[in-house]
Amino acid sequence: MDDTLGTLARADEAKLKTFAETLIHELGEIEVLKSQSGLVMLPIRDTAKGVAFHLGEVLMSEAHIRKGDAEGYGMRRGHDLEASMAMALVDLAMATNVRVSDCKAFCDAQAEALQNADDDLLRRVEATRVNMETF
Amino acid sequence: MAYVATRGGERAIEQSERLFREEMGGFDRQRVEEVKKSLPYLIDRVMGEASLYDEDLAALALAQTGGELYEAVLLLRAWRTTQPRLQVAEPIEQDTLFTHRRISAAFKDIPGGQVLGPTLDYAHRILATDVLQGEGYAPEPVEPAANPSPAYQPSVSAWQAENDLLEQPTPDGTTGNDIPDLTREPLLFPSKRAHTLQSLARAETGGVLALGYAAMRGYGQAHPTVNELRLAEAEIAVTHPDGRQFSAGRVKVSQAEVVDKKGEKLGIGYAATLGWNEVKCISAATLDLNSPGAEKGSATEEEFFLYHTEGVESSGFCIHFKLPHYVTFQSSLDAMRDAKAKKAEQSKSSDMEPAE
Repeated sequence: MDDTLGTLARADEAKLKTFAETLIHELGEIEVLKSQSGLVMLPIRDTAKGVAFHLGEVLMSEAHIRKGDAEGYGMRRGHDLEASMAMALVDLAMATNVRVSDCKAFCDAQAEALQNADDDLLRRVEATRVNMETF
Repeated sequence: MAYVATRGGERAIEQSERLFREEMGGFDRQRVEEVKKSLPYLIDRVMGEASLYDEDLAALALAQTGGELYEAVLLLRAWRTTQPRLQVAEPIEQDTLFTHRRISAAFKDIPGGQVLGPTLDYAHRILATDVLQGEGYAPEPVEPAANPSPAYQPSVSAWQAENDLLEQPTPDGTTGNDIPDLTREPLLFPSKRAHTLQSLARAETGGVLALGYAAMRGYGQAHPTVNELRLAEAEIAVTHPDGRQFSAGRVKVSQAEVVDKKGEKLGIGYAATLGWNEVKCISAATLDLNSPGAEKGSATEEEFFLYHTEGVESSGFCIHFKLPHYVTFQSSLDAMRDAKAKKAEQSKSSDMEPAE
């Protein structure tokens, strides 16, 4: 699994849009292949027989852009075409060596924020662990 | 079918919908946000039954229908059909679930331990009537542990399989559009396992509980013990056009394994759904556990429980009885009158027969 794309898909939407906007000028002319919302079917594997089956579909936003041979892609949960386009712009910037260090710094900061949020949640979950004794 | 086309109701129909909506009042984005924020478990239930995950859409459907759950699910199922399918994600594997709650009633010392997570299982069920007197309700804050809980755990059944308590299943390897899909194929019997579990995942909670409860009370062949109950978030693993896989976000899922002694090993039933809905998963897993060899027409036989827990079809069939059945009913009345007349004629002719 690609961690950078995973981070962009869950990054704070306002910060992602603000950052991606700063890349537009330097990226120059790009071709928009897709900017749409739609559904992603989500399967899970059953633990009794090992069979994969569909749980249902998730509303997603998708953006696919191109500059020369390089492609940028964004897919995020919910209906927010600007956010998925912002993700695709950052992906394209990294693929075309446009402000790569800034993009990496943005992704690192977002990854850290997401990790901190997960840790905070899991510390609260850990508080509910049962230290069971029988007597 | 004996239906009849009628005229004269157009204005009444239009006004009846207006009356429904007028009595409910208007709604706006703010109402939708309030529904989403204040009723997360109802949102989860609706998303699971609609088999469409998006909190905004589920909250909108609830706001638009005034909380009429069958209508809300129908709205979402109908809307779903208008949308393109972008991809089929990679199947969720157990050890990738970001776990909030994982308990077992079968084994005290499961690997990873028992983590209660968010639950009212042990709460006093006392209605907070003070709120109606103007008091606010502020929950006590959680006292976080020093270290985070391990987010990722294998299923309890995987550990049992290692200990030869049940059969280790072989993953079927089916992915993408090759996974059988009830939204594009008919449900046929005997049902494919992927269809059975998909149908239970989108089944109506009350229906699944009613039939699962029948099995639990003794009308089934196996008594369930909860082997694992898990509330988690699952990654949506999609593919970039260049082939890289990545998680496009997380959704809430719940799942249950139930077991029963079966010969020298444990029998196991499984169910999962979108959103957090424990009652549905335990009930559905109980039906799965009981279904092999179930008697035709019994609550635990797959054709019976799959047909009768499909909420949109069952509620739709139920409410269709409100539609004009004037011809069929008139026909019944004619038959009754005819029988009555024949009976009267018979009794009249027997009265006229001479006494022997």
